[in-house]
Amino acid sequence: MAAGPYNYSYIFKYIIIGDMGVGKSCLLHQFTEKKFMADCPHTIGVEFGTRIIEVASQKIKLQIWDTAGQERFRAVTRSYYRGAAGALMVYDITRRSTYNHLSSWLTDARNLTNPNTVIFLIGNKCDLDAQRDVTYEEAKQFAEENGLMFLECSAKTGENVEDAFLDTAKKIYQNIQDGSLDLNAAESGVQHKPATPRNPINTDQPPNKEGCAC
Amino acid sequence: MGDKTLETEDIPRSVINEDEPINKSLTMLPWDRFSNWIHCACVVTFDLELGQAMELIYPGHIKLTDKEKMNICYLSFPDSNSGCMGDTQFHFRIRQCPGRKPLVRAHSQYNRDCPVTLQLDDAHYYGFVYFRQTKDRSIRRGYFQKSVVLITKLPFIALFNQVISIIAPEYFDNGEPSLEAACHDIDQWPLPVPGDTLNLPIMGSVIQVRLSCRSDKLIGSVPPKYSQTHSIPAHSILPSIHEVDIYSSFLSILPHVQLLWELVLIGEPIVVMASSPTITCNTVQALVNMIAPLKFCSDFRPYFTIHDSEFREYTTKTQAPPPVILGVTNPFFAKTLQHWPHIIRIGEMGPLGSSPKLANKVKKAAALKTLDSNPGVYTRYKSFLTKDKAILKRLMKGSQLKRPVEAQNAILRRHLLELTHSFMIPLERYITSLMPLQRNISPHKGPPKLRPFETEKFIETLEQSGPQLTSGIKGDWEALYRRFFRSPNFEGWYYQRQKEVNQKLQLLHLEALSNANLSEWIADKEEVQIIDLILKIKDKLNFATHNHGLVGKESVSRLQKQLEDIVSTLPDDLQSVIKT
Repeated sequence: MAAGPYNYSYIFKYIIIGDMGVGKSCLLHQFTEKKFMADCPHTIGVEFGTRIIEVASQKIKLQIWDTAGQERFRAVTRSYYRGAAGALMVYDITRRSTYNHLSSWLTDARNLTNPNTVIFLIGNKCDLDAQRDVTYEEAKQFAEENGLMFLECSAKTGENVEDAFLDTAKKIYQNIQDGSLDLNAAESGVQHKPATPRNPINTDQPPNKEGCAC
Repeated sequence: MGDKTLETEDIPRSVINEDEPINKSLTMLPWDRFSNWIHCACVVTFDLELGQAMELIYPGHIKLTDKEKMNICYLSFPDSNSGCMGDTQFHFRIRQCPGRKPLVRAHSQYNRDCPVTLQLDDAHYYGFVYFRQTKDRSIRRGYFQKSVVLITKLPFIALFNQVISIIAPEYFDNGEPSLEAACHDIDQWPLPVPGDTLNLPIMGSVIQVRLSCRSDKLIGSVPPKYSQTHSIPAHSILPSIHEVDIYSSFLSILPHVQLLWELVLIGEPIVVMASSPTITCNTVQALVNMIAPLKFCSDFRPYFTIHDSEFREYTTKTQAPPPVILGVTNPFFAKTLQHWPHIIRIGEMGPLGSSPKLANKVKKAAALKTLDSNPGVYTRYKSFLTKDKAILKRLMKGSQLKRPVEAQNAILRRHLLELTHSFMIPLERYITSLMPLQRNISPHKGPPKLRPFETEKFIETLEQSGPQLTSGIKGDWEALYRRFFRSPNFEGWYYQRQKEVNQKLQLLHLEALSNANLSEWIADKEEVQIIDLILKIKDKLNFATHNHGLVGKESVSRLQKQLEDIVSTLPDDLQSVIKT
């Protein structure tokens, strides 16, 4: 009960993308609620999830945009990429077609976000190893070739789900620390709290000085 | 039997949320009203092959797990039934198996407005038993042994004892159709709404009760307002829905009543041993009730047997005894629980009004060898407070003057209530001092929280404003508080206060947010922050719908307007999705 809901130093925007039925909403639900949602309805447009995490003793609020995977929403969902600090790109290890579509999702992610956006590849449903259609090695290689972080996860068992979300945040935070992510740029997808009106934020300065809104 | 005016009056008020104008007939299914009061009725019989067996569960669609059924079966029969010829009435409490649905809406609304001591909890059921044993030569064993049991979450001890005493004899005479009729009657009962006086039809008679509510005055109980508008006349009026006669329950151990109050307050393990479950359940219930208005937060079992699924857990010798109160009748427990620190042995109660044989001395626990020991309290515990002899004298005198038991009970209850009050007032006062200031509530910050409870800071306040202000009882109050802080009762009380205060602060924060000039604030903010604000407002609106009735309609519509205004500043492509 100690931490108030607004008690954080940064907000990071994430988007979750990937084909229909790969388990995007389930991953989000597992991450925010620690529960598996068995009968998850199709997402229409976008759903939001939030959770406050801690990276290097900084409280960070993740604002997660869970997008619709259906092809007919593709044009709509393109506008959600704007300003994302992290993109979780999900495929289903038991359905090869969802893996084959990754290059198209990656193109969107690259074109519609900024160069510093951290893209994390997730092979979901690793609990269904018997029905595997995409090997770990193959996907790992794809990730390496494209400079993506990668993990296989299970929204059902929760395996690696935390890591995917947290590793993304750590990478973003690291980018802020080493200066490669410019907080002044509009659409960095990162917001320092409390929001100071567009003053340049000096990232060399330890952020906790101005952290803690309450 | 159904009383139509009652139904239509009561349902729209709380069952149907004004935000969800759903057709009434869709929201109320058959048995919905029944399950607001009772989970199910069971008939447990003694089968020569199987032992206790569940003969019937009514209504038939109700599911109980095997473990629940087993517990109900064993707890529905007296442990040592040699002395239980004829009819025996008692109640028990069992753990609900996990994985059940959360409380129904009527129950969560009830919980919100009732006194905390009468809240129903998600994890337990009560069982109200009416057991009959008669000689019957037509049965192979020569005895008829059967119980009718009501399973419910509501802690309405007095009410359900009354109800089962009406239903069960009818069932023994007329069989299943009478049970069906009784359940149908209960399915007509209005919602259990705290503060309401209800007329409850059951098998041709009507019981009138008033449900206590949280805003009732604690001292000087509220006289029920018997409105004349009820169309069914009441045959019997229950003075209280939950209270047991603590005076009669404690009659043989009256001199120790204050010591027992301390033990219950600080959550010590207590076992009550008696020869019948009727006595143990009354005594355990009286113990639990004696610290009202404070809620007893540990487990308690008015009647506990060696077959109970928690038997091992509660009788383990590898750990300290758990902070629970158990009522037992099986002599086996005299040995199994002889390491327990506090043992109450109650003898059979004499005829009412006769001067009780008082067990005046506290006995060393080691003196208890068998269940045949004399009535008394067996403990090494040294009271923190000095014994208030005045109340004992008053009760003794009352007993000599043949003062009615009801009056004696009222005197004792009031005394205990005042004692608990004297103990709690300093704590309540200290909590008030931990409230954040109104001016610390800002729409752009999180709602402030109750400051943490600091034991030493509290103890410092005792000298100025301790229990001595309201109680003449001397003793080491400070040490009593320190013990209390380690008990589940303190934890439960503090959690409840925290919840109430933080809810209040949420409300004030919602107010502040609804009144803030947010359009100005967002003017220079990034999209990610504006979305964050939108999500916060949506959260607040969610809180408002979940705490229906707590939040003013105007604040909600102001906040809704704020949300719309903010959304309208977003790019078009975003607006359409945010609205969903």
